[in-house]
Amino acid sequence: MTYALIASAALGGILLFLLAAASANTPLFSEHYPLLLALNALIAAALLGLVIYQLVVLARQRRAKVFGSLLTFRLLVMFAIIAVLPGALVYTVSVQFLAKSIESWFDVRVDKALEGGLSLGRAALEAMLSDLTRKARSMALDLSDMPSAQHTMALSRLREQVGVEDALLLTAGGKVLGGASREAVKLLPSMPSAAALRQARQSRVYSAIEPQGDRGLLLRVIVPVDSLSFAEEARLLQLTQPVPQALAEQGESVQSVYHAYKELSLSRQSLRNIYILTLTLTLLLALFSAIALAFLLSRRLSRPLAVLAEGTQAVARGDFSRRAPIMSRDELGILTQSFNSMTEQLDEARSAAEANRAQLETAKAYLESLLANLSAGVLVFDSGLVLRTINRAAENILQRDLVSLIGTPPDRWQKLPKVAATLMQQFAMQTEGAWQHQIELPERVIVLRGSALPAASGGGYVVVFDDITQLIAAQRATAWAEVARRLAHEIKNPLTPIQLSAERLHAKLAGKLSAEDGQALERATDTIVAQVTAMKNMVDDFREYARTPAPVLEPLDINGLVTDVLALYEQSGVQVRLRLQSGLPPVRGDRNQLRQVIHNLLQNSQDALAGSGDPRIDIATSFVPEAAGGRVMLRISDNGCGFPEAIMQGAFEPYVTTKPKGTGLGLAIVKKIIDEHHGSISIVNRPEEKGEQGAAVSISLPLAKAA
Amino acid sequence: MLHRLLLVLALIAVPAGAIADVIDARHFEIAQEEDGLKVSADFGFDLSPRLDEALHHGVPLYFVVEFELVRPRWYWFDEKTASDKLVLRLLYHTLSRQYRVSRGAFYQNFASLGEALRTMGTVRDWTVAERDRVKSDEGYVASLRMRLDTTQLPKPFQVTALTNREWTLASDWVRVVFTAGRTGSASK
Repeated sequence: MTYALIASAALGGILLFLLAAASANTPLFSEHYPLLLALNALIAAALLGLVIYQLVVLARQRRAKVFGSLLTFRLLVMFAIIAVLPGALVYTVSVQFLAKSIESWFDVRVDKALEGGLSLGRAALEAMLSDLTRKARSMALDLSDMPSAQHTMALSRLREQVGVEDALLLTAGGKVLGGASREAVKLLPSMPSAAALRQARQSRVYSAIEPQGDRGLLLRVIVPVDSLSFAEEARLLQLTQPVPQALAEQGESVQSVYHAYKELSLSRQSLRNIYILTLTLTLLLALFSAIALAFLLSRRLSRPLAVLAEGTQAVARGDFSRRAPIMSRDELGILTQSFNSMTEQLDEARSAAEANRAQLETAKAYLESLLANLSAGVLVFDSGLVLRTINRAAENILQRDLVSLIGTPPDRWQKLPKVAATLMQQFAMQTEGAWQHQIELPERVIVLRGSALPAASGGGYVVVFDDITQLIAAQRATAWAEVARRLAHEIKNPLTPIQLSAERLHAKLAGKLSAEDGQALERATDTIVAQVTAMKNMVDDFREYARTPAPVLEPLDINGLVTDVLALYEQSGVQVRLRLQSGLPPVRGDRNQLRQVIHNLLQNSQDALAGSGDPRIDIATSFVPEAAGGRVMLRISDNGCGFPEAIMQGAFEPYVTTKPKGTGLGLAIVKKIIDEHHGSISIVNRPEEKGEQGAAVSISLPLAKAA
Repeated sequence: MLHRLLLVLALIAVPAGAIADVIDARHFEIAQEEDGLKVSADFGFDLSPRLDEALHHGVPLYFVVEFELVRPRWYWFDEKTASDKLVLRLLYHTLSRQYRVSRGAFYQNFASLGEALRTMGTVRDWTVAERDRVKSDEGYVASLRMRLDTTQLPKPFQVTALTNREWTLASDWVRVVFTAGRTGSASK
């Protein structure tokens, strides 16, 4: 586009110069004038085409709402007005001036003067011509008086008499009969033309001023020479006389000026047209070049703005990576630069904010995962005692869905009356500082610790609680083991001396006493020995309980173990019914300890069935699917007397028994083993409403692969 | 852009193409003689009032007689065998009221315009080509025309002549089929 414009403008300039040169009154290029005109018109048309093309492009952009096109258009209009107005003004004035000035060249007086000068010259020539004619007539008259034979002789004399340059005697057909000349050496006088001869014959005189090209003017007169005798052929006399050099030159110069003036006068309209045409072409070329140039300039001016606008839009979309190129060192360039630096700063600020946010999110996620993976339950309340946050452990410990409680204060909690009451009470009592409280829920004991959050972070309260059931159980078990160990130690030591003493007493006194006394002694010592033996057994039991080794956990088929143990009870007379689920996954357990568990439980059932009319034991295994892989459940139930209500709570504690001879350690050991297997155990009495009776013990054990 | 160009060319071309048949080509004869091809022709014409006025105001008028000899070829463009042109100058000498016709260095004066024009319109024994330029028994087409050479006019008249038909004076091309060794002629 730019190159096309430059080329057109340059070509137009050159052609205009040539046109102007040709328009001036010089012979230069005058032959090619129409061609020059056409070429100029062509260039003007090309420039017009360029302008139209640019306008069409601009209009299309305008319609497509390209940013900056309106500005380009306005700048273009302004530039165009700046170009057109002075151009049109100069043009109008020039055309007016031209018309006036061309008209002013022509003046009636000059016209008259030139015509007068020409007439004057002509009159002088005519006078000379008529003088020559007169001389010719007199010569012809003289010649006609003579016989034709003397004509040639007389010619020279007669020429001398009248004083003309050349005299020539011709036949009617133009054949030279004789001649005389002022200059003797002149070879051939100027011959008349056929037309001149004809005219001389017909109208008896031919007189003319003949231009001789460079040799000036020649006066030529031809008259017939009348013959006396009719028999003779008519003759013609020609007199030629050159016009004096000075007169001829003057006349010629007057004529040339006259011609030039006349030509100019004749062509003044055309001349005006030429000048106006040249001017118009100049104007058009200049205008179109100016408009095309204005278009380019407008483009150039508005382009940085369009780039800036694009950048702005990109920033609005959130793209800070765009940098507008700096194309100039003026204010627009500075603006672009400031825009770039602004974008850069925005970009930096945004990335900083982004990094900050990411950091916060990481911290939050960290805290959340910390909270979620905390084994302690956490409840967070706001300053209005409304529950805000819980963690997973809280739900696990309380075994309730707490998510539905979020957004409610504890006094509206229906599900957890005891916890809610404790919380309300503690919050009411302790508005600041920390508190700790232990509550017992069915089957578990939890310890709640509460503290108020600092007011700076919005206030509120946080409650952390732990399930300490296991802890308490472990403490208790440890305590009992210690007791058992001491008892065993303290009790076993005196037992042997007691037994030995009783046996020595029996041995020493057996022969010395009467039969009656001897029997009494024997019974007494027997009793002592028997009781000591029983006591020893009991102490061993205690010691065993206290010294139960840590289990060796390995994958174990629970069904196989149950069948294994039952083999020992085949002769007992108790009906054992098995309902074992096949294909159970292996559990993690110590074979010997679990055998002891089953053994103890069957023993208990057997004891409970003593004296029963229809003793029956049910053993069932099943798989309980859970989220974390599931567990295996073993349930042993009987239809015996069941557990008395009073001992249900403490059935797993040592020394709690219903049997006359029991140590109360059976279930305690079971409980200890199951705890060490990370299992759980529960006992229930079968509901009597359903016509059933007896007790049921359920043990659930973790799977081998889940550990 | 191309359209515009063609339009401009057409504007220039139209007046030239629509030249009125003002010069009447009455006779055209071409003959192969000893010293070359000779052309004889007669043109009859008159000056338009505008040309007359220009002439009497001292503007010299140039007339051109153009001759072309081509050998038609059916398989390719015609071969241009010979071409020549004759320039005639007509001038009015105001001082002596004489019309002068020049052909090169040779000139003639005439007292009347009609005589001068008649002389100009008569072409005799114009040698247009050497004898050996044409091969015998070949067919040629000889073309002749006479026109006023407007490019020799003073510039202002040239511009006017572009658009004004009064300034154009030309004959149509007269064509004669001519076989070497014979004489070709055309007459009205």
